[in-house]
Amino acid sequence: MNPQETEIAELTPETMEEMYVNMGPQHPSTHGVLRLLLKLDGEVVTEVIPYLGYLHRCHEKIGENRTYTQIIPYTDRLDYLASMYNNFGYVLTVERLVGITVPERAEYMRVILGELQRIASHLIWLGTLGLDLGNFTIFMYCFREREKILDLFESVSGQRLNYSFYRIGGMPLDFPDSFLTECKAFLEWFKPRLPEYDAIMGDNIIFQKRVQGLGKLDAKTAINYAISGPMLRASGIKWDLRRNDPYSIYDRFEFDIPVGTSGDVWDRYMVRRIEMEESVKIIEQALQGLPSGEIIAKMPKKLKPPVGDIYTRVESPRGELGFYLVSDGTEKPYRYKVRSPAFVNLSVLPVIGRGCLVADIVAILGSIDIVLGEVDR
Amino acid sequence: MTPEEIIESITSQYGDAIKASEVKGTEARMDIQREKNCEILTTLKEAGFDYLNCLSAVDRIANGELEVVYHLSSLSQPTKILVRVRIPRADPIIRSVVPLWGTADWHEREAFDMMGIQFDGHPDLRRILTSEDWVGYPLRKDYQDERLVPYEPV
Repeated sequence: MNPQETEIAELTPETMEEMYVNMGPQHPSTHGVLRLLLKLDGEVVTEVIPYLGYLHRCHEKIGENRTYTQIIPYTDRLDYLASMYNNFGYVLTVERLVGITVPERAEYMRVILGELQRIASHLIWLGTLGLDLGNFTIFMYCFREREKILDLFESVSGQRLNYSFYRIGGMPLDFPDSFLTECKAFLEWFKPRLPEYDAIMGDNIIFQKRVQGLGKLDAKTAINYAISGPMLRASGIKWDLRRNDPYSIYDRFEFDIPVGTSGDVWDRYMVRRIEMEESVKIIEQALQGLPSGEIIAKMPKKLKPPVGDIYTRVESPRGELGFYLVSDGTEKPYRYKVRSPAFVNLSVLPVIGRGCLVADIVAILGSIDIVLGEVDR
Repeated sequence: MTPEEIIESITSQYGDAIKASEVKGTEARMDIQREKNCEILTTLKEAGFDYLNCLSAVDRIANGELEVVYHLSSLSQPTKILVRVRIPRADPIIRSVVPLWGTADWHEREAFDMMGIQFDGHPDLRRILTSEDWVGYPLRKDYQDERLVPYEPV
């Protein structure tokens, strides 16, 4: 039943002060087509009711009617700000289901592109959080940097947003000759840019006062709601699948895992801001160690995984991206389920959004970093 | 705890409620009776597996069953657990685990929306991804949308 109808029917003089406000689905600060029904007492939010599904396209049903290879382009459209990483998670799942060993060079390529994608995704997050809070400058800076990453991706894959660049068993194309020098030049250019973000955003007293102590999420609630990614780390739990459940070749790299203390919007800002530095470190090590050789394993023409099921998780820029594949021995998966980090992270919003001001909901939602393509699937 | 130890301790505690079990790498897999799902999951949660990664549903139409699959893990040990419950398609009711995990709320709503599984005790079991007036359960294998015209090659 629609809560709007029930509650309005019960209005009494005591509750006359409360009112409902729709935020979204057509609202710039909901980052897509999310609709939040806010129950307000004056300007204080007493209840947040999210309504999803405006971008639902039954991704999982489509997957059941495609072969394993044909699903790869569809995974791009899940979290369209981190397409490379969705490809990564999906092909890794199929490879583990079939039992394929990926050539060394392909693993390094995957990590380099995946971490570049993480930086690009965090840059969008930082820029749009700035927009939400009225800081337009940071948005321009972040998009300038992201543009350079997209140029790199374009030189590799020919695409700027939906790459479909990973293949089951390896990578389809090698890096172009100019890529290594361009990538190194980008990293050298990018590193001094990071302190600039602090100058515009982090050191700004207005921003600090605005977000410190806002949208607090304690560690116990975070685990109860299975929060993952930077949001979990901001709540003080040192948990990163790249370190704690290593996949691909992440166990070969040295990097730090930033953690917050109180789990507020400020901590989420700091965690993601430092993660960009750590990703730069990983890319540098991977470029250093990039071996030569094959980029794709020998694959059968028709891929028919054995009967069984598998759940594989990777650390996408938003958190734990999981794929649950059930195979019945044919070319198409029997069941294809996506555990999307944004969907799960958003489910805690009614808990942390209660008791805030309306304007703070915008900041909290911005700090969760949702992509509706992934939430609605 | 190793996967073998988990299966051993759960089997000794619940006996017949465990229909089948196996170890696959670091993952302990169990098929359990639906009447005992909350008890077994509570025991596992208290044993440290307090992170519900995923809750999914699978339509096994050939057996006339629906599967509810719980993927559990822990933030302090590498062992993972898969708990599978088979319920008849004609009577798809299972007890909700929302009292145990907040994250189960939306996962169960999705399983209800897509597969039509009724979660007994869920505080707010509504459709989540499709609209409220949607008819049928789209991810079931026998789902037919009347509005779709079959494709005929020219």
